[in-house]
Amino acid sequence: MSKLRFIAILLSLGLAVQFGVCANGASTAAAAQAAPAQQSWQKEFDDVCSKTQDAMTFSQQELTALIQRCDALAGRTQKLDDTQKKVYQGRLRMCRGLYAYVLESKKNEKK
Amino acid sequence: MLMYSNRKRTKKNELGLLRLALLCGVLFLANNLWAQIYLPGPPPEQPSDYGKVILDSYSPAAGMHAVEFDHWLHRSRYTCRLCHVDIGFAMEAKATGIRADSNRQGFHCGACHDGKKTFAGKPIFASCSDDKNGPNCTRCHSLGVRNARKEDYRTFTAKFPKATYGVNWEAAEKAGIIKPIDFIEGVSVHRPPMQSREDFSLKTGYNWVRPVLFSHEKHSIWNGCELCHPEIFPTGKRGTGRYSMFANIEGRYCGACHGRVAFPLNNCSQCHPRAPEWAAQ
Repeated sequence: MSKLRFIAILLSLGLAVQFGVCANGASTAAAAQAAPAQQSWQKEFDDVCSKTQDAMTFSQQELTALIQRCDALAGRTQKLDDTQKKVYQGRLRMCRGLYAYVLESKKNEKK
Repeated sequence: MLMYSNRKRTKKNELGLLRLALLCGVLFLANNLWAQIYLPGPPPEQPSDYGKVILDSYSPAAGMHAVEFDHWLHRSRYTCRLCHVDIGFAMEAKATGIRADSNRQGFHCGACHDGKKTFAGKPIFASCSDDKNGPNCTRCHSLGVRNARKEDYRTFTAKFPKATYGVNWEAAEKAGIIKPIDFIEGVSVHRPPMQSREDFSLKTGYNWVRPVLFSHEKHSIWNGCELCHPEIFPTGKRGTGRYSMFANIEGRYCGACHGRVAFPLNNCSQCHPRAPEWAAQ
């Protein structure tokens, strides 16, 4: 009887360890998948918003392309958690706003 | 009969005088009211209180003192752009949503106040620890707490060049006394140095008001481009912006910063060269 109990305890312990490893593995895998996703939007954000200082030197086509990239990125930032979303969407709004502002100025200059 | 008519005339005159006095009184009051509304209000008596922000959206409910934020201390170390663009502090009250959690996650105050980042070789104390009675809590949550602030305005700015009101920050930077940082690793984006934009002059609507000499260079060093355009100055078409002191006093255009944090609107000659230096209310 005690042998049976011992085997049962061992079995349940084994199952618990196995389940824990699986769960841990799953969360690690999810994190590993999320990390590149974060890196990719962050990389795009850094690239798009690193050009604000030079905004006046861009052509109308380049500015339009930058605005389109900002719009595409805005969709991707929807998935971020609340604080991160608020901060990065705010920064993106400023960045996009500046490109649109310069584009408008350039269009008005030509008129 | 004649006496009655004279009495009636005197009464009429008295009534006329009373009406005139009343009219003068109303005009006087209206003029005062107009002046009260459309003259820049004087800045706080103590320059240390100028630009002070009280953050009390969440702290009192959590049993903490409200946060006192001093612009004078932070602006001596960081550019306006760094905090209002890269870190994301809104320029209007209660719009940022700063919370203990967001600070702990490395956003808002926690972008610098994380206990790891350094300033002048010293670590910057971490904001919002789990211990409500921690030794650093009252360094920020200091409203109504005596002697909680570590830096004192007078001592801190003793060697700074002074302006008509408070510190002349521009001169302080020129003299190398302050060197505001414009980049934080992990928060800011690497950008090439800014190409200086041309300065320009803005005509005023009245002959007796001197034109404004606007320096793009001075402004863009601290603010970058996107802090002002398009949110504060939205129009990209030259000559279409209708700026006025009325709008400035209401906190729009130049008044978004001047009159709140940057030198006060009363300091006429800073923008209108050769104008009288100071407009008292």
